[in-house]
Formats: sequence, structure tokens, C-alpha cells
Amino acid sequence: MGSSTNSLIWIILGLPLAGSLIQALFGKRVIDSMGVAKGRRVMGTLAVLPIAIAFVLGVIVTLALSNLAPEARSQIVTLCDWIHIQTLNVPFETLIDPLSMTMVLVITGVGALIHLYATGYMGEEQDYSRFFTYLNLFISCMLILVLANNLVLMFIGWEGVGLCSYLLIAFWYKDVANAKAGNKAFIVNRIGDWGLTLGMFLIFSFYATHAGEFGAPKDGRWLSYDYILPAATKLILYPDTATAIALLLFIGACGKSAQFPLYFWLPDAMAGPTPVSALIHAATMVTAGVFMVNRMHVFYELSPFASAVVCCIGAFTALFAALIAFGQTDIKKVLAYSTVSQLGFMFVACGAGAYWAGMFHVVTHAFFKACLFLGSGAVIYAMAHNQDMRNYGNLYKYLKITAWTMLIATLAIAGFPGLSGFWSKEAILGAAIGNQHAIAQGINLGMISGYVALFVAMLTAWYMARLAMLTFFGKQERWRQIHPHHESHAHHAAHEHAHTHHGEDVFGFYYTEEEMARRAADTPAEHHHELDLNHEPHEVPPSMWWPLVILAALSAVGGFLLHNNEAFRNWLYPEGKLAVLTQSVVPGEASNIPLTLYSIIAALGGLTIGYLVYRKGLPKKEGWDLNKWSPFRKWAGNQFGYDAAVVNSGVEGGGEIGTGIWKILDVGLVDGIVNGIGAVAMGAGRTLRKMQTGYVRNYAMSMTFGGILILAIVISVFMAGAK
Amino acid sequence: MVPLGAYVGLGLFMFTMGMIGVMIRRNPIVIFMCIELMLNAVNLTFLAFARYGPVTPAKAVVGTIPHNVLQTAMSGQVIVIFVMAVAAAEVAVGLGIIMAIFRLRQSIDIDEMSLLRG
Repeated sequence: MGSSTNSLIWIILGLPLAGSLIQALFGKRVIDSMGVAKGRRVMGTLAVLPIAIAFVLGVIVTLALSNLAPEARSQIVTLCDWIHIQTLNVPFETLIDPLSMTMVLVITGVGALIHLYATGYMGEEQDYSRFFTYLNLFISCMLILVLANNLVLMFIGWEGVGLCSYLLIAFWYKDVANAKAGNKAFIVNRIGDWGLTLGMFLIFSFYATHAGEFGAPKDGRWLSYDYILPAATKLILYPDTATAIALLLFIGACGKSAQFPLYFWLPDAMAGPTPVSALIHAATMVTAGVFMVNRMHVFYELSPFASAVVCCIGAFTALFAALIAFGQTDIKKVLAYSTVSQLGFMFVACGAGAYWAGMFHVVTHAFFKACLFLGSGAVIYAMAHNQDMRNYGNLYKYLKITAWTMLIATLAIAGFPGLSGFWSKEAILGAAIGNQHAIAQGINLGMISGYVALFVAMLTAWYMARLAMLTFFGKQERWRQIHPHHESHAHHAAHEHAHTHHGEDVFGFYYTEEEMARRAADTPAEHHHELDLNHEPHEVPPSMWWPLVILAALSAVGGFLLHNNEAFRNWLYPEGKLAVLTQSVVPGEASNIPLTLYSIIAALGGLTIGYLVYRKGLPKKEGWDLNKWSPFRKWAGNQFGYDAAVVNSGVEGGGEIGTGIWKILDVGLVDGIVNGIGAVAMGAGRTLRKMQTGYVRNYAMSMTFGGILILAIVISVFMAGAK
Repeated sequence: MVPLGAYVGLGLFMFTMGMIGVMIRRNPIVIFMCIELMLNAVNLTFLAFARYGPVTPAKAVVGTIPHNVLQTAMSGQVIVIFVMAVAAAEVAVGLGIIMAIFRLRQSIDIDEMSLLRG
């Protein structure tokens, strides 16, 4: 690979950033000066173009990379010095290898499609260019994350995507619920970052203290992958350290990729606009944890215990989230839990040592889940921003393209034979059941996780069939039966209240008269009409259905193309790439279980059950009356009480602890000391004040007695001296 | 000749009277008089000690006593002149202050002048 293609990587990194700056600096001016419709079209084009060009350049770099011999497919490109402190050197450097380029193609490819979709979806939005500022910034942060060649640079990307996620979840910040959802995502991710940073520190400090064994890096690049990862094989002598590093890094992955203890921010993140859910909370950012585990796979190879933990957490999350999905009526919430569940699958693969299978599922999941989210966005768009599936039904009649594309993606995620989800799930299940890596205390937890995942694959097919049937099929057109009290959506409430009384809006912010007048004038444009009895859904514009078609096509054939001849595995992990493990078992080859048959049965069985249960439309016991719901479904709908428990114990309890500490330590001790000193001084003053009577006689008397006292002392001293 | 103890006793008596007067009287004029009494008590003792001391100008034969000793003996009498001069100046100032206060408040009761009470 020549340096010419290598240096393209800086253009790939720079384009989205430049796009973001253009949107931020000129977006509003352009839209104001060119008129809303034309200006938005121009800025929308300027938002999509950088990502699309970056994708094309990414393809060029990837092709150049694939022409190299497998051993040479690891190119480091350094831009400049960044941190250089004595013996520690952290340059701004990127690593071009199959793993990073795979992610780059997914991010820019799926990202460009979602940007294109968003130009249509957000067409009515007031803050049009603010949205694309964040979205382009997200792409550039995500590219930094995957392309970084050292942990610190990766951490910049890691935090950058977290920031963009926060900004975009809370994009409609006028609604407090959205702002709170953004906060939740940001704060829960801090817990994961705590683990990730500790893992980084542990790597650095352990290597630095054992520099004699590990060997110091060239140029002091202590945190660069090309030093850390090869040297990590020497950790085989320190299995406990390898386990500690792997587990700490996994805490970070749990936060970012929404795994069990920390998953609960992702469902709330659906408060953001739907393209954001598709791009950030399904296709790219949430897979950063899987990417990171892949990048750091040496540590997981060295630690079967940590791998077993990863497997168990993944399998449990997959099961837990799949069950919760049954209790959801919001179409985006179902997809959110489905995402959590599918991320669990990826971690099962990573734990079992089949890192490539995890990445494979990342890619196929990016296709079909982005398609599903965009499709749900199209449905929401067509249904006047109502997200409750209980209001849908028979939409196939109105939304042909959306229905077909979503159906293909649904079959893909369900693992219908031949579609992309089938291949990647097959790889995961085969690896989990066949591999002998994730073993703790002599129990093959990887295999158990594999069987759990097989069961979850059936559940996936079931709840996805539920989603498709309730939305697109059945004879009922349920929005025509809406009662006013079913209007349960607060999405645009903030816009309506924004000009209630003079000077102050509903959140207590004050504005000048001109600003208030401008806002009042703006409000009608932002006011969407509500879903009503006579609503006629219409198919979405081409800018929105073209991405759906492309993604559906990829969902259909992408898996097979990548899986054919083990192309994807040999691309990511050619022979000898793994440090310790032997190459993972090919599904159905080494294991004597008819796994393919099992997974086909699971997929088709789930789909059939879903079809049979929901073929007549919304069952009574899942309707508007929650009292008719079965207790289990209601419990599942409440996330089995987990979220409430965390919020009650963690947030409220933490608040109580904080209040307690404040009362005891701050008010009691610190304030006590400060106030005590003050009180002593005041008391002394109050007492001594009485001496100042203001009467001359008293002063005279004290002078007299003072004089007598001094005289007595002087005399006694002289008398003593005289003796 | 009157013994030294009588002078000292009288001085002590006068000083005590003045001191008690300063402490218990409310009229500043009287308090001034009491202060004068105390000053004069001290003056009396100065003079008495100067007269009855080991070297006095009266006993000294010129030329037999060193000059500096003679000066020491004289200082007791000289200080009395100082004290009287200072007392006179003090009375002048003090009476001026009393007049000013009287003009301001139509009263010179010293207990009413207690603005500095804490």
C-alpha cells in the first residue's frame, strides 16, 4: 500500500469534522438567507456529502489494504506529536487494519444512508443544522475511536461519541423527559468509563513496572497498540493481571454497549430522533464495546475466566432484554431492547473466543437494525409521530416500500435461513457451543451461553414477528378507534407551551419581547398535527425510502457475501492472528450437533408462533387496558423492575446517602467547627462587652485597682530581690 | 520638727480621698478637684522626701557634695513645679471640654456621658 492511500485516512477523518463545522458555522445563515426549503436542501446535501465521500475513500483504502499480504495488513500512519512527556509519548496516530477499516466502512456507509434519510425525516425541524452538526461530529468521533492506534486517542473517540449521543438524545431538549434521558445515558456511561480508564491505567502501570520483561517500546509509545498487544502475550505468566485488565475493559464495554448491569440507558435513549437511534444506538456507537473487545482480544484470550464472564453477561443480557421486548408497545422501545439483546449475542461470541463472529454480527446487525429503525421512523413519520404499536395495524396497505424493507430486515434479524442474520447468528452459536475457551471452575459457560442464545434466537423471531404483525398486518386500522384519552405522547408538548405567558416559558427561562415574538411566530411551523381518526398514512419521500431499500438489500444478501468461503473471518482473523487460541470452530463442522437445524427451527418456530398469536391483530390482553395484561408481560414491560430498582436504590439511595453525608459531615462537622469558633468568639465578646460600661467611674476604678496590682507585683519582686 | 511620717500619712490620706472622690462623684468639676487633690498629695510627698532625704540642699555645704548628687536632691522639688504646671494646663483643657459638653447637652452629669458603653 502506497503512502498515497495511507494519507487518505486523514481526509476520511477530516471530512465529517469539516462537515460538522460547516453546519455549525454557516448552517443557520444559509437557511436564513436562501429560504427554508432551499436552504435546508443545500445544508442537507452538505451534511450527506462528507460522509459519502469518506465512504468512497474508505473503500479505496480498504481495497489497497486487501491487496497486501495478510501479515502486512497493519499500517500505522502518524500525523503529529500529541502528548510527549519525558519517556511517555502519545502521538496522534491511526492504525489501518482489517478491523478498523471494517468499522470505518460500516460507520461511513450506513452513516451516509442514515444521513440521507435524516435530511427527509428532520425536514420539518427548526434546528436543522444543529442536528447535522451533531450527527457529523458523531461520525468523526466514531472514526477516531476505531482508527486510533493508542488507547488515549481511542478514549477521545469513546468520549466524543458519548458526548454526541448525549447531545442527540436530548436533541428536543425543551421536553424535560428528553433532557433527562440524555443525562441518564451520559451518566450511566461514566460508570463504564470508570472501568475502561482503570483498565488503561492498569495496562500502562503493569507494563511500566515490568519493563524488564515486556521490553520498553520504541520512542516511548507506551500506549500504542503495536506495543501493547504483542507484548500482552507475556501476560500468560500473570493470569490474574490479564483477568483484571480484561474485566475492567469489559466494564467499559458494558457501559457503551448496554450490557446487563448498565443496559438501562439505551431504551431511554430512544427519546432522540429516530435517525439517531438508527445510527448511534443501533448500528455504530453501541457496537464500540464489541469493537474494543476485538481490539484487545489478546487479554481475553489469556483469561478464560474473564471470557466466561463476558459470555454469561452477554447471554443473560440477550435473554433479559428479549423478554422485556415482549412487554413493550412503543415500536422504538421494542427495537431498543432488541438491540440490547443482539449486543448480548455479540458478547457471547467474543467471550467464546470467536471475536470475528462478534464483528460479523456487528456488521449484519448494522444493516438490519438500521433498516428496522429507519423503517420504524418511516412508520412514525407516516403516523404523525405516534409511536405506539397499539395505534397501528394494516399499514402494509399504505406503506408498501417501508413494509417490504422492514419485513426483510425482520426476517434477517429473526435468522431466517439465507438472510444475513442467519449467518452471523449461526457463527455465534456455533462458536459458543463448539469452543472450549470460556471455562470457569471447570464449567463450560460458553456452551451454556450458546444454548441460552439459541433460545433467545427463538424469542427474537417471536417478538419481531409481533412487531411486524401489529404494525403492518391484520385487518384492524387501530388509529381509527382512538379515544382521546389514549393520546399519550408528550413529544411536542413543550413546543405548544413555549409561549404561554410573557417573558417566561414553561421551564422558567426568560426571553426578551422580540425573542418571544419570534418564538411565537416559529411555533406553528414546529407544530405537527396529531394522529386522529381520519388520518391517512402516506409513503415517505424517496430520500427516506432509498436508504431503506439499500439497507434491506444488504440485510438480505450481505451476510451470505461476507460469510461465503469464510471471507470475513479470514479478512479479520487470518491464520496466526490470534495470540493463544486456535482458530474458532466452524459451525457445524467440528461439533457433532446439528446446529444449523436447531437454529432454523428456532427462527421459523419463533416466526410461526408470532404469526399465529398476532394474525388477528392486537390481542385483548395486550391492549390499552393494562389490567387485562398477564402479570408476566406487565412485569417484563417494567423491565422486571430493574430500572426502577436501580433508580430507587442508586439514584434516590445515592441521593439519600449524599444528603446524609452532607448533614453529618458538612453541616455537622465542618459547619460545626466553623460556627463553633464563631460562637466562642461571640460568647467571649458578649461577656467581655459588659466591662465596657461607659461610666468614667468604672474605668477609674479599674485603673486604680490595676495600679495597685502593678504596685503589689513590683514591690513583691523588689522584696524578693532584697532577700 | 514634724516627722516625715506625718507628711507621708497626710499625702496618703489626701490621695485616697481624691481617688475615692474620682470614683464616686458625678460632677466633673468635683472630679477635677479630686484629681487636683491627688496631684497635690503627690506633690506633698515629693517635697517631704526632698526635704528629709539623705542629701538636702539645706544641709549641703557648698563644695563638699558632688554636683550630681545635689542635682538629684533638687529634682524632687523641681518635679513639683512641673506637676503644678501640667495640672494647670489640664484644668484649662478639661474645663473647656466641660463647657463644650454643657453647651451641647445642658447637663454635665458624668454618668449620662456613657456613649461608649459596650
